[in-house]
Amino acid sequence: MSNDVMTKRITEASPRLKARITGVFYLLTILTGIFAQGFVSERLVVYGDAAATATNILTHSGLFQLGYAVYLIEMACNIAMTALFYDLLKPAGRSVSLLAAFLGFAGCVIKTFSRVFFITPLFVLGGAHYLSVFSAEQLQALALLFLKVNDRGAAMALVFFGFYALLTGYLIIRSTFLPRILGVLGMFGGLGWLSFLYLPLGYRLFPFVVALALLGAASLILWLLVVGVNEQRWKEQASAAGQ
Amino acid sequence: MSTAVMTERIAEASPRSLARMAGVFQLLEAVTATFGQVIVLGRLVVAGNAAATAANILGHERLVWLGFASSLVGVVFHIAWALLLYDLLKPVNRRLSLFAAFVILVGCATQALTSVFYLAPMLILNAGRSLSALTAEQLQALAYIFVRLNGYANDTYLVFFGLWCALIGFLIFRSTFLPRALGVLVAISGLGWMMYLVPPLAVHLFIPYIAGASALGEIPLLLWFLAVGVNEQRWREQARVAGEW
Repeated sequence: MSNDVMTKRITEASPRLKARITGVFYLLTILTGIFAQGFVSERLVVYGDAAATATNILTHSGLFQLGYAVYLIEMACNIAMTALFYDLLKPAGRSVSLLAAFLGFAGCVIKTFSRVFFITPLFVLGGAHYLSVFSAEQLQALALLFLKVNDRGAAMALVFFGFYALLTGYLIIRSTFLPRILGVLGMFGGLGWLSFLYLPLGYRLFPFVVALALLGAASLILWLLVVGVNEQRWKEQASAAGQ
Repeated sequence: MSTAVMTERIAEASPRSLARMAGVFQLLEAVTATFGQVIVLGRLVVAGNAAATAANILGHERLVWLGFASSLVGVVFHIAWALLLYDLLKPVNRRLSLFAAFVILVGCATQALTSVFYLAPMLILNAGRSLSALTAEQLQALAYIFVRLNGYANDTYLVFFGLWCALIGFLIFRSTFLPRALGVLVAISGLGWMMYLVPPLAVHLFIPYIAGASALGEIPLLLWFLAVGVNEQRWREQARVAGEW
């Protein structure tokens, strides 16, 4: 096989392969997110107790560092997933798919920037000489304040991911190559995230919202990994859309 | 020349001139970002000394504004550089090139938001009565914390910059119109920047490893784009095979 033909084959990866890769990055986004949030952040940060939080972070500073790194890897996977979904759902509506990608993308920017505030407590609590003008309690309070900014920032990103899920769900419903029920589940998940438009409501509903979103995400991931998309219909819809 | 013809000329700018423009924007980005983040901050920040840093900032407010403006303009140049490389490397693999562009745009947005922290120390030190509940030493320490936040935010940007370089390096390696060695060097420099996933490790490795890899990757990239550009004929061939035109 000549180099040209090979390049062409790789460039024109089949829609099914594309769908599988999308599923892989979606899964990685969810898993890294659950790890950093559930196993690092939730374990070390005690929101009502600045002193306990500070002790936890300092005794597990390696784990805390790891949490930051995994948060950033989560964002890289999220960006890959957004780029791949854009391509995959383009035949169902080019402009809507582009709009969805931009919204998902804005969410990634907000979440990435929030993570700067996640790593900050490490140096606020690091015991540098110039910090000795603050009392230990003040530094602990400052560290917890930064962690809260990180958390609220991530919550702001959820609103954008909510709109993203609504549009993506709509595109799946409109598509001929994925089952509609997956789109419906995705839209419900997206509606749930919109509760974070009013943060107290979002935090109160959090367990339900997460359960709803995970249900939608898990079924879509499973479908993409196992079945992929109906290739023939994908190509039909793509050529009907003039792509 | 009619407008239509002119538009067509611009739209179909030759790949070589695109490459030259990419080189120019890379150079502009390097100069402005280095001036803002390295030279100005290097002159003003005294490591670990909040009082001396505060005195420097208050004594050189114009320089702070200049560094701020320079950092921000650097982001604009970075975005232009990134979009030109997206276009240039599209024939190699459109989807991967798009992913690389997305990665660096998130990085650039982080870099732009970093500028908030760049100005914050000066605002805190000049806050006057609104922050009078804090002692002078505490204000200086708070200002220094924001200097460090600027550093951490910049480190976060560097992770995405590293991933972008790694992807760009891979695309250059797979291209038929740029030398493969260039791709390898750029990818290695990207892996170096990605060490900022663990900032203390990156600080430890910075001299000579990360800085060296960066110089060995990004300087040849700049020189090649400015002096040689791309092999136009091969670029068109690969673009045709990829079915882009």
